[in-house]
Amino acid sequence: MGVDGFGPRVAFYIGNIAVTETVTVTWFIMFLLLVFSVAVTRNMKKEASGLQLVVEQIVGMINNLTKQNMGEKNIAFAPYVGTLLLLIGISNIIGLFGFRPPTADLNTTMCLSITTFVLTQFFGMKSKGLGGYGKGFLEPIPFLLPLNIIGELANPISLGFRLFGNITAGVIIMTLLYGALGAFTDTLLGLTVPLLQAGVPAVLHIYFDLFAGLLQSFIFTMLTMVFISGAME
Amino acid sequence: MESTNFVLKFLEWLMSFEPKALILSASAIGAGFAMIAGIGPGIGQGYAAGKGAEAVSRNPKSQRETTMVMLLGAAVAETSGILALVVALIMLFGNPLVDLKGAALIIMASAIGAGLSMIAGIGPGVGQGYAAGKGTEAVGKRPKLQSQIVRTMLVGQAVAQTTGIYALVISLVLLFANPLIKL
Repeated sequence: MGVDGFGPRVAFYIGNIAVTETVTVTWFIMFLLLVFSVAVTRNMKKEASGLQLVVEQIVGMINNLTKQNMGEKNIAFAPYVGTLLLLIGISNIIGLFGFRPPTADLNTTMCLSITTFVLTQFFGMKSKGLGGYGKGFLEPIPFLLPLNIIGELANPISLGFRLFGNITAGVIIMTLLYGALGAFTDTLLGLTVPLLQAGVPAVLHIYFDLFAGLLQSFIFTMLTMVFISGAME
Repeated sequence: MESTNFVLKFLEWLMSFEPKALILSASAIGAGFAMIAGIGPGIGQGYAAGKGAEAVSRNPKSQRETTMVMLLGAAVAETSGILALVVALIMLFGNPLVDLKGAALIIMASAIGAGLSMIAGIGPGVGQGYAAGKGTEAVGKRPKLQSQIVRTMLVGQAVAQTTGIYALVISLVLLFANPLIKL
């Protein structure tokens, strides 16, 4: 197993550009979300029932979360918050279905965290004005300017690497575990059927994919809300 | 008279080995060093468990909520241990340094450094465990506020993880994108 043993595989090439597994799985997730959104909003009725009721619950939950963390006046951020939550959540748990999570690629997570960073700076400038925004860097004393700038730049880096580190840790440990279990069934039991791989990893899948995955998507979304609303105050 | 400069002698002795053997042995040391980070989660989770026991003894009725928060907080406090484990496993099973061309001494030191950097995980481990303990205690006192307490606890723990994440960044840079070899 070399360096690329843990990295995303290249699915195919368009000209000279390598399209990795990350991109194709992201397309798949986008397709799933699109089909789901269209399917549940096509025949909307006043009296919600069935699937529409479930979706209304989800939307209400996201609206509530946004209201609680960003205040009533910033409810316009709810669509972005909901998209982040759904996209990262599904990306993280898609490992359960045998795909490689797109969030186990630094390109994806840094992209998302840079989006948050740009939003933070933009809305900071918009609500405080350019002068007020610049003055924020000189507080509490002007001497701290370099530290404030480094602190501001460190936020997106830690945000992106937090998600990447946690998901990649799960991917690497699960890959090694499946390899080790395969070797055990081969040499110890002398079986060609993957017997041990069938049940043993389930507990670790629950921890790394379900628990850590959902938790990290929640944390990313929460921190995004905290950063943006913090910059606006 | 024999030279008494032991540092020089040690380096000369080191250079008498094959580069590959040097890098592999350094990776072994690095993997061991990385796992020292386990001290942090150990202390932190122990604190959370203690606070959980205390909270249940005060308010036995809230045992279910308290245990849930304790396990949730402890699981987050485990993160730095897992990140250290990942770095150690990369060095053991997918070592990217072995195929590198360059001064063996630098690659070797990078392997040890990548492991040493993960020791920073002690801090987040203890800190997150402390937060988990306090969260557990608070839920034991006021079980009805569970969801708010858990939310605040998780965000705080995520921020406490930051230095551990920086350690991971440096460790991965040393392993996969070492800038020192090209100098």
